[in-house]
Amino acid sequence: MKTNRREILMFAGGSAVGVLFTPAPWRLITDTALWSENWPGIPAPARGEIRARFTNCSLCPAGCAVRARCVGDQPVQLSGVTGHPLSHGALCPFGIVGHHLPHLPARVKEGPLKEAAAALADGIAKCGPAESVAVLDLRPSRTASWTYRRAMAALKNGRYVTPSGDTSVAVDLSKARTVLSFGVPVLDGWGTPGNVNAARTGFHLIQVDPVESRTASMADRWLRVRPGSEDALAQALAGRITHAAAADTTGLTVPEIAALAKELEQNGPVLVLGSSRLASGSGIVIARRETPVPEEWKKAAPAENLASLPDRSVRVLMIDESASAEYLSWNAIEKKLVGDNPVVVVFACSREGYARHANYVLPVGVYPEVADDIPPAIDSVAAMFRISAPLVSPPAGMVKPEEFVAAAAALGIGDTLRERADTIHKTGRGKLFTYADAKSQALKDVSADNFWKALNAGGCWIDELDSKPSPARLTTVAPEVRPAEESELPLAVVLTHELTPGSPLLSKLYRESNLRLAPGRVALNPSCGLDDGAPAVLETLLGKCRVGVTLDAAIPPGVVQASASPALLDLCAAGVRAKVVRV
Amino acid sequence: MALGAGWLAFPRVLYRSRPQPVNFSHKIHADKAGAKCEDCHSFRDDGSFAGMPTLDKCSSCHAAPMGTTATEKSFIDDYVTPNREPQWAAYARQPENVSFSHAAHVKRARMACKTCHGNTGASDSLRPYQIDRISGYSRDIWKIPGRPHGMKMADCVSCHRQKGLEHSCLDCHK
Repeated sequence: MKTNRREILMFAGGSAVGVLFTPAPWRLITDTALWSENWPGIPAPARGEIRARFTNCSLCPAGCAVRARCVGDQPVQLSGVTGHPLSHGALCPFGIVGHHLPHLPARVKEGPLKEAAAALADGIAKCGPAESVAVLDLRPSRTASWTYRRAMAALKNGRYVTPSGDTSVAVDLSKARTVLSFGVPVLDGWGTPGNVNAARTGFHLIQVDPVESRTASMADRWLRVRPGSEDALAQALAGRITHAAAADTTGLTVPEIAALAKELEQNGPVLVLGSSRLASGSGIVIARRETPVPEEWKKAAPAENLASLPDRSVRVLMIDESASAEYLSWNAIEKKLVGDNPVVVVFACSREGYARHANYVLPVGVYPEVADDIPPAIDSVAAMFRISAPLVSPPAGMVKPEEFVAAAAALGIGDTLRERADTIHKTGRGKLFTYADAKSQALKDVSADNFWKALNAGGCWIDELDSKPSPARLTTVAPEVRPAEESELPLAVVLTHELTPGSPLLSKLYRESNLRLAPGRVALNPSCGLDDGAPAVLETLLGKCRVGVTLDAAIPPGVVQASASPALLDLCAAGVRAKVVRV
Repeated sequence: MALGAGWLAFPRVLYRSRPQPVNFSHKIHADKAGAKCEDCHSFRDDGSFAGMPTLDKCSSCHAAPMGTTATEKSFIDDYVTPNREPQWAAYARQPENVSFSHAAHVKRARMACKTCHGNTGASDSLRPYQIDRISGYSRDIWKIPGRPHGMKMADCVSCHRQKGLEHSCLDCHK
């Protein structure tokens, strides 16, 4: 039988049509899609025994207690620890997904360690008599901070610098009946989330904010003032200017200001946040005891503010960005550096912060990879000691900043966390709260070894309360704002408050949802003439930065709300003037 | 011919069969030992599902041979005596991107095991474990002939809709 071309084509066509009526093509399409989900390099959850481990979150100074559900050694779910005396079982959205942080795609994973050490040694050797070697510690009072202070004391011109002043000031929220907040995110990042929520029913919250921030939207009363006019309201309440003058500046009415003054007088004690003009009520802001440290550590360099350093005097600067709480604009730092070849070494996990300006960027482990202690939060009236115990191992090549700085200063250090724990244990004061059983026991009933084990397995030491605590005062550092012509820069800047490193998943979610203003974005009133999502350039007297635009009717005309990301914080402070132009 | 290839030859090529380490009879354990599903497929103290029982569980009864069958002898000689874990293959193992909670379905929703797993609890032998050569997943996740329910996302969604339960993607794809 001879097969002709027509029959071959008919056979092929018939087969093709026939195959469509079988599961084969559809199965292959599905299987190919599933196969692509399991390509090498795509992370897959570990298999293994399911167990709970405990630690403390070190993403922000609150340091909430964490229960990690682990499969094998891999944490897969984080939650709070019920019964914790301060965090009360709560975790913020950043804390809930904190275990994703090691997978940050833009993470710094390698750095020029030897070159940095050599440059550092060279810089220290060249340091003149009027010059200094400084460490900028963005989260002071840690055990690592004491190592920095000791290392700087060991150097001839060593200076230890922190962003803000006194870290021993504490706020007793439970005693406040009214909280007057000048732009402080009381319900959205200030203090310990669980503690603030627990105390929330006990105080009346008055939020002074130019835009409807998340705290403003949840406050009992929101006083919408003009951007940069918060201080005028504080002065009026302190009796330094008239209510009429404050009304002209803030946009509030005279009766509103008078009613506020009367309310503060009648509904005390009042906690004032975000302004140094007004004093808080008696017993609310107190000086907290210091968490004990070994006596020999106290021969350390004093903590100084950046402003106290002479301009053009720092030859070598090391910045520990591994645990940050605040951000100082690079302009403020840069003018302290010497003019000729300063050495700047930054310990960071990403290149978005000070790494943009550093000579050397050294990679560090992130939460929950490294053991670090967390100083007491601002709303903790008792001194505390808690360790963020690692849940996973850091990648190879990560630098421990305190060891690097100590080596640069030829300071020999041992297991500093253990030494501090032993010192606390010797005092015999306070109690140990363990997370696995949510129980407290007196420290004097626990052996030093068991205390150390408990701290590493999820626990915290809580000091006894002072029977007569000393009063203290919250200080507010006003940013340096250069005056600008309104005609050139028509917008007043308002900043959001987030500076916590977000997990890749959370960053993706809020970038896509715009539930939070993502890094590198600004929000403007829809009448601004720009399109939602459009790329633009934000310009201030300090420079320019590319941003993405979000249109938000809640932002008043004449105001630009900028996300608190390092690139924007270098250009902006609350109250500066800016303009946003289309690219 | 194309239909024959698609319906008969293609599945044979696509799926690779692997026998289970022991020809386990759920029926014998249920009938003679009076065992219930949760006696071996238990929940841990923290509420999580333990899945396949480990050798410890088996050894608690089978420390010595319980009977004279070849299967029993093989199980004792190959696993219990050398204390070697049998490498059971889970028919209904879900893909890695799915988080399925047995506790939510069995304890909270009080669903019977056979709702999803069919009449496995009454089976006298274990069928071969079939692996999709391309995706690497068990064939039992899909709806296969002779099984009342599949284990695909559409099956989950269908059941949830029938019960008036609507959930977000992140409930399962965490």
